[in-house]
Amino acid sequence: MYACLYGPGSGPAALFDLALEFSPYVEQTSGDTVVFRIDPLRKLLGSPYQIASEISRAGYERNVQANLAIASNPDTAILLARHAKGVTLVPPGEEQRKLAPLSLAGLTTDQAMLDILRRWGVKTCEDLAVLPEPGVAERLGPGGVYLRNLSLGVLHRPLRISQETSSYERRVALDHPIALLEPLLFLFSQALADICSLLRSQARAARLLETSLDLDNVKDTRLQGRPAYRAVLEFPVPLTDHRTMLKLLQLHLERHPPKGEVVAFQLRVEPVEPRRVQSGLFLPATPLPDKLQITLARIAGMVGDENVGSPQRLNTHRPDAFRMAGLNFQLESQPEDVPPPVPPPVPHGEMLRLAIRIFRPALEARVRLVELAPKDVLATGVKGAVMRSAGPWKTSGEWWADTAWSRDEWDVALDDGGLYRIYQEGQTRDWFVHGVYD
Amino acid sequence: MANFSSAVPCDPRWKRAVDLPQSTTGKSSNSLHIPALNHLLLNGLTRGSVVEASGARSCGKTSICVHILAQATKCGEVCAVVDLHNSFHPDSAAVNGVQLDRVLWVRCKCNPEFTMRATDLLLHAGGFGVVWLDLSEAQAGILNRIPPSYWYRFQRAIQNTPTILLICADAPQAKAASRYSLECQAKSFSWLGQRPFARLRGIAASVKQRKVTAIRPEQPLQITVA
Repeated sequence: MYACLYGPGSGPAALFDLALEFSPYVEQTSGDTVVFRIDPLRKLLGSPYQIASEISRAGYERNVQANLAIASNPDTAILLARHAKGVTLVPPGEEQRKLAPLSLAGLTTDQAMLDILRRWGVKTCEDLAVLPEPGVAERLGPGGVYLRNLSLGVLHRPLRISQETSSYERRVALDHPIALLEPLLFLFSQALADICSLLRSQARAARLLETSLDLDNVKDTRLQGRPAYRAVLEFPVPLTDHRTMLKLLQLHLERHPPKGEVVAFQLRVEPVEPRRVQSGLFLPATPLPDKLQITLARIAGMVGDENVGSPQRLNTHRPDAFRMAGLNFQLESQPEDVPPPVPPPVPHGEMLRLAIRIFRPALEARVRLVELAPKDVLATGVKGAVMRSAGPWKTSGEWWADTAWSRDEWDVALDDGGLYRIYQEGQTRDWFVHGVYD
Repeated sequence: MANFSSAVPCDPRWKRAVDLPQSTTGKSSNSLHIPALNHLLLNGLTRGSVVEASGARSCGKTSICVHILAQATKCGEVCAVVDLHNSFHPDSAAVNGVQLDRVLWVRCKCNPEFTMRATDLLLHAGGFGVVWLDLSEAQAGILNRIPPSYWYRFQRAIQNTPTILLICADAPQAKAASRYSLECQAKSFSWLGQRPFARLRGIAASVKQRKVTAIRPEQPLQITVA
């Protein structure tokens, strides 16, 4: 059994609160209508008549003026509450009779369908209910069948339960200022465990963790009234494990400690849909994203954020042009669809591509030229006479930008056994050792 | 009999088991196939092992390491490069077939301690196909200060895992902790044409396997310019 309250004069919050007094399963159909289940109340309060009396009494005490209808399905209760004044009780099986006098305009807002029904002479629920279902389905489609079932009072559906808006935020004011990280992490752990428990219960995950700390000895007047310390950790993959979040927060605070004692803190999490991936039995293993995040944060704490990542080539001919990007955690661990053909073995060995190791920054060199070709090269860790050379390969570009380059490149084999790439700057005519083929 | 396939809602994001790609068809899943070294490493590199590639400058050790990295990324594995001297060249690696979006590059600012700690963290994090520890061009005095126990620690970290630790240095470092020790030596440099139109063709090298017995302990290599 379902009860519906329709009170256009009452506020939506008042109706919702009144319904919550009787059932946790409340659907806020619209601003002036709420529906809720009353089956469990039958043992507690008695018959539907007694339940209706209790609801009326509670409404009177709260000064809520609303129509009340009780029926065996939510839609019938809604229709009767909206169109019948006072209290309406519908015994099971009497829905069609109670709905019969209602006008079809109250059932739908689809004006085209109402026009068709009006032309047919169908004006009330009783008129529509007597029409055969196959005929209505053929002429009006699923919308027509739905209206017919509504007018018969046989439409059953689950309630769309109104979810209470959750707050993924915790603020804690401390009795005494905390200067050490460890006790602060203990408090963070409790707050994060609460938030993560809430996230998991609602099938959500955290994409972002925002930490605000209020410090005791803030002397900067610009920071008065604002959190003196704010850290935002954006996770590459959504997390629900509070230990992982706590470790990442700890690593961040160790690298960027707050400048003062903490008197209050606030943790806020931005929820998103959790990540769902399908693993394959025959696919290669990849690092676990949450574990890898902690590992990368630890490494970044040593070498710096700019020195950890995945290299990305830039769309330019500039030598050694790349940028460091974050490792893509969303990679599907799938091999290439078509594996590259393996060349047949060469009788005297396999063919490999020559790789080069780059000196960053390029080594300044002194080069002696003979007949415009390098003859001796001297640089830090590189010294020798040129046995053979190839070049110059003139390259230049991006003259319109700060990254302009112009150079003459040479491949030289020195008598120290190394094969190097050297170049001469076009502007300054200085020589550099760019890298070594290896 | 109930038709389960029709009972389960069909979500296009989910694949059936038969539709999943099988990367290891016809190959041993316990090794990483290295085509360029197939005479030397008949069954490829065994998973969970320490591999060393050593040699002087321009002997081809970096080319071999990049080739191993390319093979691993082609199989869909995520790899890591721990670079002591910031000398990894992404363009060169990409030309050699490395899928850079599957490579994690750690630049250690010439600090050997950072290099070893970063390697340790990555190996213990697990899930990487190949972790390339590049110690090339490091001074012998610095490398000699690395306690040998580190190499055994690394070996213990990756045994029974699919990870291969690839160490590239001027001289062998891991000693007994490594399963494969590839010693590279340049034989000659080959050029095309005559000056002023000459250009580099490649390096003729040989690579020697000092540990596991192979069909041939030494294999000549021809490393060409891409």
